[in-house]
Amino acid sequence: MIEAIIIDGLVTGAVFALLAVGFTLIYGVAGVTNLAHGSFFMLGAYMFSVFGPHGFLKLEAIQALILATIFVAIIASIFYRLSINPIIDDAVAVLVVTVSVAIIFQQIVLLVFGPGFFVVPPFTSGSTAILGLMTPNSRLVSAVISMALFISLWIFISRTKIGAAMRAASQDREVAMLMGINTERLYMLTMAISAALAGIAGIFIASSTTGVAAASMWLSPLAMSFAIVILGGLGSIKGTLIGAFIIGYAESAVANLVPEGGAIVSVVPFLVMVLILVIRPKGLFGKRIEMEE
Amino acid sequence: MVTTYLTRIYSSFTAHVFDIPPRMLALLLFSFLVVLPIGGLNQYVLGILASANVLAIFAASWDLLVGRTGQISLGHALFFGGGAYITALLFENYGLPFWITIPIAVLITTLFALLIGFPCLRVKGPYLALVTMAFPIIIGSIVGWAPLVDIFHGEIGFRGLPRFFPFLKIQDQALAEYYLTLLLLFISSVILYKIANSKTGIVLVSILDDEVASKASGINVTRYKLMAFAISGLFASLAGCTQAHLLKLANPPMLSLSWSFIPVIVTFLGGIGTIYGPLLGAYIYYILDRYVLTILVKIPPEFVYAKLLIFTAIVVILILKWPRGLARFTTDKLQDLEEARDIEERGPKIWKTYKKKKKIV
Repeated sequence: MIEAIIIDGLVTGAVFALLAVGFTLIYGVAGVTNLAHGSFFMLGAYMFSVFGPHGFLKLEAIQALILATIFVAIIASIFYRLSINPIIDDAVAVLVVTVSVAIIFQQIVLLVFGPGFFVVPPFTSGSTAILGLMTPNSRLVSAVISMALFISLWIFISRTKIGAAMRAASQDREVAMLMGINTERLYMLTMAISAALAGIAGIFIASSTTGVAAASMWLSPLAMSFAIVILGGLGSIKGTLIGAFIIGYAESAVANLVPEGGAIVSVVPFLVMVLILVIRPKGLFGKRIEMEE
Repeated sequence: MVTTYLTRIYSSFTAHVFDIPPRMLALLLFSFLVVLPIGGLNQYVLGILASANVLAIFAASWDLLVGRTGQISLGHALFFGGGAYITALLFENYGLPFWITIPIAVLITTLFALLIGFPCLRVKGPYLALVTMAFPIIIGSIVGWAPLVDIFHGEIGFRGLPRFFPFLKIQDQALAEYYLTLLLLFISSVILYKIANSKTGIVLVSILDDEVASKASGINVTRYKLMAFAISGLFASLAGCTQAHLLKLANPPMLSLSWSFIPVIVTFLGGIGTIYGPLLGAYIYYILDRYVLTILVKIPPEFVYAKLLIFTAIVVILILKWPRGLARFTTDKLQDLEEARDIEERGPKIWKTYKKKKKIV
């Protein structure tokens, strides 16, 4: 039991970190609360299945993964350009528009793929024994790739020139513009990266943990990433990583310890989110979130 | 020469004849609705109109909260579905008639709104939107949860609630229900409109415009926000109870995200922050939904998802291109105005920026 919780929590935490870091990235850089973040998670899973070994294109798993990620990134860029860019200064409008777009994506997926569950194949077969527990290879691979991507994102933001531009834009948009940064294009790039990471997380979760994709699977990842981001402190990448592991372990503990936990597990992110916001909106590490005007 | 003369006549006509406040237009709409069934509508149409009335109450309650105080709630289905469930529970367990169950349900839901509003309203903006969005999802999954199937009847929900006027003939029932919902709509929209334009309403708008300044002026911001939340919950749950009796059921979809989102659609169709806008929006919504998309376009049943898709797309386009909504557009055109004159007609400015200076570590 305890081994299962350790491994489950590790894998879920790593993938959730990937999901949540995209959310915190676009919030931190562009100030956009993207309620359509979960939709990219869902789209990633569906696209992987479409491009994947049993789908229409019958590509290798890794090719399908890359293609699906690029597809999601392009969709996100178009979405940013058409619907967020004109109203980026209006926080309330952004909220309503992004949640509308999330519902639009859900309805499109329902129209195209139908209301049932959509089988997503695992991208590797076989399993390895860890701590005396047979763990599917696909879960291990997804955890490793997630961590690798997370670290490379960190390096990207802290070492490269574009990363510096992102940090500059997050500190002060006007001054960044004066320094010659094209913030519009930068925000679009940030949105694309953020959506791509969410898409990869969706592929990993759908193919290695649940095995299915459904049109309604955007809401609970959204709540999940929000909970993680608030727990770790908004805009902080380090905090996101820690928050993701805490919530990943919490979820795997509920799934493994509570009888009939499988049915409740989808409510966990919402409960955690409400509890954090209501009890300790500052986040775990005591950083003050600027919620006052 | 002639054209200039005609233009002058036209502008003087619009300035003097059509120079009526929007609430008069709303009253005209009401009187039209009162005489509407005289032509002899069939039962089906009357049922749809009754639902439109209920939706108008629901959307107006959302508009009071969001359009006036700027507290964005994406979980109004909580009050709507909650009210429906409480009436159904009271009817099934105690066999009470609707004129007892509905007030009790409304009262309980309002108390619940106060209870959850107190911690929720400490957060704002995107946080509040997500917290409110989470509540109906949590309650909905509790209601649909397998071990509680004896109390809430799981995914099926309650069926066979009584109609409002079981002693009348079938055709008269629909008519009576239509007039009942119209009466409820009239009373609630008058109350909501009066609240929105009273001193309290001005305080609410001041909170929307600048919360810090309102605080500095000695306004107990939390109390007013909580009050708006509770009033909004009250009317939303009234709408939910009425809907439950109209449809004779209460089920988990009434707590779903789409019922949280329908008032958003309706309010943006009509015009946010006006209270009378959603009344128009509800009728436009039902005309689009039941006439244009069902009879004119004939969407096949397997593409029923396209409906919500179309409505949501309409909302996005409205926000991007036409954020003032249809009701205000109409009144502006009638009065030939470039800029709206006062707060009642322009409504508060809903679009405002939150500070967004976050550092990436």
